[in-house]
Order: sequence, then structure tokens, then C-alpha cells
Amino acid sequence: MDYTNKLHVIFDDGMLGVGGANFHYLFGYERAGIESLVVDGHEWMYRVPQPTFWRATTDNDRGSRFNIKSAQWLAADYVSPCVNIQVAIDGQPLPELPIAPLTNQYTDHDTATTVTITYTYQTPTVPATTVDVAYTVLIDGTIEVRSTYHGQADLPQLPVFGWRMQTPTPVTEFTYHGLSGETYPDRMAGASEGTYTITGMPVTPYLVPQENGMHMQTSWVELTRETTLNNADLQPGPFKLRISSLDQPFNFSCLPYTSLELENATHHEELPPVRRAVIVIAGAVRGVGGIDSWGSDVERAYHLPADQDYQTNFKLELVP
Amino acid sequence: MEAQLAWLDDPQVFRVNQLPAHSDHQFFASTAAMEAGDNELVQSLNGTWEFAFAPTPAQRPVGFWEPTFNRAGFTTITVPGEIELQGFSQINYINTLYPWAGKTYRRPVGTAVADQVDPATFANGNDNTVGAYVRHFELPNHWADREVHIMFEGVERAMYVWLNGHFVGYAEDSFTPSEFDLTPYLQPGDNLLAVEVFKHSTASWLEDQDMFRFSGIFRDVNLVCLPTAHVTDLKVEALYDPVTHEGQFGATLQLTNDQAVVSAQLTAPDGTIVWDGQTDQSQDFKFPVTEIGVVQAWDHHHPTLYQLTLTVQMGAKTVEVIPQVVGFRHVEITPEAVLQLNGQRLVINGVNRHEWNCHRGRAIEYQDMLTDLELFHQNNINAVRTCHYPDQLAWYDLCDRHGIYMMAENNLETHGTWQKMGAVEPSYNVPGSLNEWLEACLDRARTNYEVLKNHPAILFWSLGNESYAGEVIAAMDQFYHTHDQTRLTHYEGVCYTPEYRDRISDFESRMYLAPDDVEAYLQNQPDKPFVECEYMHSMGNSVGGLGSYNRLVDEYPQYAGGFIWDFIDQALEITDPVTGQSVMRYGGDFDDRHADYEFAGDGLVFANRQPKPAMQEVRYYYGLHE
Repeated sequence: MDYTNKLHVIFDDGMLGVGGANFHYLFGYERAGIESLVVDGHEWMYRVPQPTFWRATTDNDRGSRFNIKSAQWLAADYVSPCVNIQVAIDGQPLPELPIAPLTNQYTDHDTATTVTITYTYQTPTVPATTVDVAYTVLIDGTIEVRSTYHGQADLPQLPVFGWRMQTPTPVTEFTYHGLSGETYPDRMAGASEGTYTITGMPVTPYLVPQENGMHMQTSWVELTRETTLNNADLQPGPFKLRISSLDQPFNFSCLPYTSLELENATHHEELPPVRRAVIVIAGAVRGVGGIDSWGSDVERAYHLPADQDYQTNFKLELVP
Repeated sequence: MEAQLAWLDDPQVFRVNQLPAHSDHQFFASTAAMEAGDNELVQSLNGTWEFAFAPTPAQRPVGFWEPTFNRAGFTTITVPGEIELQGFSQINYINTLYPWAGKTYRRPVGTAVADQVDPATFANGNDNTVGAYVRHFELPNHWADREVHIMFEGVERAMYVWLNGHFVGYAEDSFTPSEFDLTPYLQPGDNLLAVEVFKHSTASWLEDQDMFRFSGIFRDVNLVCLPTAHVTDLKVEALYDPVTHEGQFGATLQLTNDQAVVSAQLTAPDGTIVWDGQTDQSQDFKFPVTEIGVVQAWDHHHPTLYQLTLTVQMGAKTVEVIPQVVGFRHVEITPEAVLQLNGQRLVINGVNRHEWNCHRGRAIEYQDMLTDLELFHQNNINAVRTCHYPDQLAWYDLCDRHGIYMMAENNLETHGTWQKMGAVEPSYNVPGSLNEWLEACLDRARTNYEVLKNHPAILFWSLGNESYAGEVIAAMDQFYHTHDQTRLTHYEGVCYTPEYRDRISDFESRMYLAPDDVEAYLQNQPDKPFVECEYMHSMGNSVGGLGSYNRLVDEYPQYAGGFIWDFIDQALEITDPVTGQSVMRYGGDFDDRHADYEFAGDGLVFANRQPKPAMQEVRYYYGLHE
């Protein structure tokens, strides 16, 4: 049964399935997030995406003790449990999460125009705060992602606020429209706007692995992969996924490693073999600073104070 | 005279039989040789030498310089090169602290606490590695009966030289040329040259630069044959009037033979002869400064060089021809404390540059310099500080030709004697105001000046780095001002001793001062132009906020810009035994302790000269005031 003008919605035990002509998505309840994003038969999710708060300590962060002052965000990046999930069909929130036995009231031909599922994550910081990540699936398969960090006074400054996904196999190249090179809020005046293609996922070879590879002010990025983990998918060939701005440009990095993997290495050769892509879409990025590497802070305009709300909004789009 | 090990521990012995420092001009036997660039008066001794390494002075092969010594146990080493990078001695990177920290208790001679240590602490030092170098050579036939010198362009850190078993001389100051007269000991046919290099001496107190600590003959070694009449020293005076655009030119020579006649020509870039002259024997080899009309000035955008050619004749015979580039430019500080070059405000878009190659350490190659200049030009870098020692001579010549403004720094840093765990604590600072250290430091200033004085690229003499301040550094400043009215002096460390402020440094110089604090100085009726001799510490993912400094350029004419720290990461590329990957290693990666780990990874380019991502930001901001 094809649904060319409606989303097929499967209200099932443990997850919500949303499908269309050439895509199918699974939104988990136990694994709180988008467990599966299959387009043209190719899986894009390795584990459920998470809110991200930590960047691998830069030399300037270490020198200014920012990594110590903001260490709570390292834990938040590692474990921020989901504390609430809400589903809305065609813009109407369901009164309760449709888990068993409520799922028994549905059928095999439920449809919708839009499906929104919102996950609320709570940080293990003291005090705690929450992040809402809302996925809205449109008929053509586009997923609008709106992620909100709720400001909380008495927390240290954030290293970054964003959304992090990991692909099952590496990204072989990515093309984006934005600024040239690796940029940060306090280091992007010299960049040129344009469309750039990057082969592989280069890690900037700073002597000690650290935060790197951020691309500020991006309007879209298209990721290309050539392999999958699916044993039955013998010749997957190049296939793509596109991330576009929703209401304003976003910032992103596409690297083979999580911030914690980078954090843990003292040299590049200690980083694991490249197996996946880690894509961070960051709504808020702290500057890198530059006055010195033994105490001076990043300039105030490029801090991320914790008492403000931050948004990370973007769209995941199918590439024909 | 016999060599004495005790010199290692005496700061007042730093050059024995070493020839006086002189200008670095090239000289040829004839015009034809000069035009062909074929210098038959120079013979390189670079290459493979016999070598024995000793971990301590006590274990060194005493007498190895004797022709009869049995050197069966010797191996070989490549010259120029670092001993540590050829497998003989442990690699170590350490910043402020001295490399013997926690291992050998030392305090400098002359300080109040000096009597607490062995007076032969270096001669007896169990950390004082020794390299015994031996090399045979034969002189070309046409050098017979001529005066022959040997020139070491750089040796870390104390060196004794013998020829055919005779002691020739001793030198310190690792980063300037050391030249000796070999003539009395030369013999027909085979000659045996021996050099003993100690890693430490009292010079180590003066060379506490933030860098990998190496030892050895790490720059070129040449034999030099003097013509029968030879210009040993040349001082060019090329003055430029920014109002009238007129130049004045003169030169002073030192000759080995007062019977010689020297004719001189100064040629403009278009081939026109704009000045000429000839000495006679009554003239004392001086061409007085004379007006030569309108000239094209030298600057970054138009590094216009005039060509001076000196021809030395004995009777009718030409015995020596000297080419010397000449640049006309005028550096000054206005009464409003604005730095100017040729009547225009000068903004320094600079970098600090260590000499570095990730395989060869500080024994860099000519191609490395060319690559660096290409990167300078691509990224609007117009100035370089030679941190914190004089560079290879070729670098100054290249900066002349490429229009790169130079802050030429002495080989001096005593950081660990006055700053401890971040605090200013000068209880045993050298050189301070100590007479024991005065001559060694003045000699470093004198050598830097005498060797490099003819380079138009050098606009500023820098007295050294992070050495606190006292009478000795004030005397160095005075030396430069006495000998050179065409350049400015620079020193940052006087900020800790404001009582010397009127006697040290034409600049108000600071390092890593935050933009707001720089602005506070600039707003308070500045009496000296402000320069950041180091700023924008480019360590790892950094160089954010350059715009805040750029704003000062626009708003304050007394802000003269600065030198980013620094140009190139100091790291060593090796093959990782676990993964087989080619990887960069840094301090501590060689089991070296105490180490300052990755702290020398603060270049705008990685150690393999690939630009860091921040370079586009530098290109942009430096391009705004190029």
C-alpha cells in the first residue's frame, strides 16, 4: 500500500513508525530518539541522536581552566536521560504517549499529514535543566528538527549546544554552502562564503586532538556515504542525505569522532580507526579565544552563558 | 694556548681566538666568478664527519683531536644536524625551566646564591653531553699560501676547535657565526679538523629559549680563503629622506692590506650607476656619506634594492669583488610616538618565527625558508621577529629581497632565572646588573649588529627575550644606539623594571596583553609606540578575536601592530611503531622529563608547514592594513 500524499503511521509497541514512498523512520520510546532513518533502503542512524554540550578541550580551554569550570557539561554530553516523550499528529498532541495497550486501538492504515515527536532530556547537572528535541515529519519525508535548551542560572557556561547523530558507516565526502575552512564565532571574519566539497572527514591535526572542524553560518550540507552495515546491501553505491537551515543558518561539524573520543586521545594515532561519521549540528558555539593559552578567557561576546535559551533548528531532507 | 675545560664554567670566557664579528658580505676572486655565482674561495665542510658521543665530560675521548689518536671506536654523523635527532642523545622539549630542573642543582655564577654549587658544575655535569667531531680535508691548490679561515654558522652550545692537533679556539653564542684563523696550523695535503661540542656551559643560562633543547653543529661549516687584499668588514650607510625622496650613501671598509685600492659602484635597479668612488691609500677606506639625488625607497611592497659592487685591486690586478645589496629606507618614531617607515605609518603584521623542520629540528634547509616566505606573502605577513636568536644568514638576505621587515633578536633568554611557576622571582636573575655577565651579553649584541648591519630588512634590534632587565640589558641597548642611528631598539622585559624604561627599548612592548589593556595604554598619552612582540598565541584551535586587535590599528596611530606567536609548530614527525602511521611527536614523547608537552605546538602552520585553519583569519585581518 503506497501513501503518496499521506504519511503512513505505525503506532506500535515500543516505537512510532513513520513511512512514505522511499523512506521509513522509527522513533523510539525506550531508546529515546530517532532510531532509524532509512531512505531508499539505506540506514542513516547508528544510535539515537543526542543533545550535545561538550567540545573536546582546546589548548586555550585547558589553559583558562574552562574545561574544569564547565566540566558538568561533559557529563551532560555523555548521559542526559530522556524524561518525557510526546507525540502530535497533524499538529494535535496526543493526550498520552501511545504505548501498549493504547497501541491496540490503531490499525494498519493510519495516516497523517505531519507527525511530531518531542523528546525531553534532562541534564545530570546541578541544578538540572532540560532540552526539548522535536522531530516533525512532513509528507515528503523531510524532518524538521527543533531543539531548545532551557536556560538555567547557576550553571557554568556551555562549551556548545547542539544535536549529534552518528552514521553506521563513514561519510566519504560532504558538500556545504557556508564559510570556507574551519570557523568559530570569533574566527570567521576571514572566511569566504561559498559552496565547498570536503573529501573524507579530515580531523584538523592539532598536536593534541581537540575540538575542530566547525563550519559556521551554513545554509545546507549534503552528506555522501558509499557503504552500509546491511549484509544484504551488496552494492549500496553513493547515497546522500541533506541537512538544511530551517529559519536561520546553522553550524556543523562532520568528523569521525565524538568529542569524548577526541578528548581521550593525547595524539592522533591514538584515535580509533574511522568507522562512522559524527555529525554535530550546533545552534550555539563558543569562541575559541586567542589572547594566550594559559589563562585568558574567550572574549565575552563569544561566551555561551547557561541562563539563556538556545535553539538548534534545521531540516533533514531526502536527496532524490 | 691549550684548551681549558674550566671555560665552560666561566661566563667571562666566551670567545677564545675567535675572529672579530664582521659583516656577512660575500666576496669573490673576480667579476666573472661573482657573475657565475661560483665561489672558489669557499669550500663547504658539510657532510659526513667522524663522530663520538659521550654522555658526560668525564666519558669524553680526551685527546681525540690528536692526529695519532685511535678513533676506531668513532661512528659518523651528518653535519649540519642535531646530535639528538641522529640517535645519540635524548630529545627534550622544555619551556621556562632549565633542562637540568630537578636533576642538578645549579645557580648562575655571580648571583648571591652561586656559592651553593660546584664551581665546575658544567665541566662536571652529568647532563653535559659531548660530541667529538672529526673531519679530514685538503685545500684546493690555488689556496696555498693564503689566509684560510673556518666559519661555523651555528653550533650549540660551546665548542673547542683543533687543527692538526693544535688548539685553534673556543666559542659560545650558538646562533651567530664563529670564525677562526686556521692559517698557522694548515699543512699541505691532508688536514685534520676536530671539534668538541658541549651541550652546556654558562652560555646555557643565556639560552633558555622555549624550544626543543638540542646540541651539535647544526648549521653550515665552511672554509674560507681570503684574497691577498680582503675586505673584512663593510658598513653601508644608505639614508633616505621621506620628504625629498633623496638618498645619501656612504660606506666604511676594513681591509687586510692597506696597499689596496677599492673602487665602488652603486647601481640602481634599472642599471643606472647612481654613485661611484675610489679609495686611495690616504683615505682609510672610507667613502663619506654623500647626497646621491632621488632614490627609490625600500619597503614591503617595493623591496627595491640597489647593487653595490666593490672591486679591490692590488696594483692593476683585481683580487676581490664584493656584491652588496643596498636598500634606502628611513625608520623613525614621530614626536607623537607613531612608528613610521619612509614617512608613512608602519603597521607590523608580524609573526615570530623559530627555525624549525619537523625532521631536522633547527637545522633547516633553504627550501624551508622559501616556503615560509611564500606563506608570508600569501597571508599578508609583512614582518618577522627572529625569536629568540639570530637565524641562518640566508634568511636575512631573503627578507631583504622579499621586503619582510625584521626584528633581529639577540641570542638571549634567561626565563628560568626570574620567573618561577608563573611568578616574577628574580632572586638569581642573569644577566641583571652583574659584571660577570656583561661582556658575554654585549658580545652577543655586538655580533648580531656587526654581522647583520647591512641588511635593509632589519628595522629593529631586539635585545633578547624574557630576561628581566638591569644594567646589562641597558648596556646592550646603548650599544645599538651608539653604533646604529638608523634603527630602533626593542625589548619587552623592561616592563618588569620600569626604572629602566628610559634606557631600554624605543617601543612600549608587551606580550599577550589583552586588547582592552593595550587600549588603556594607548589612551593614556603614550610616549612610545606600542608593539605586541608576541600575541595571538596560536596553540591548537585558537586565533579567535584577532578583530579586537585590528580595531586598535584603526583607532590609535601609536599602535604599531604585533608579531603572532608563532609561525610554525615545533613537533617532530616520526613513524609510530604501533600503527605505522607518520605522526607528530612533542615534548614528553621521548620519555623526557621535565617536559612541557605540546606547548610548542603554537604555529600558524603545522610542523610540516601546512597552514592551520586559522591562517585565513590572519590573511584577512593582516590584509586590511597590508
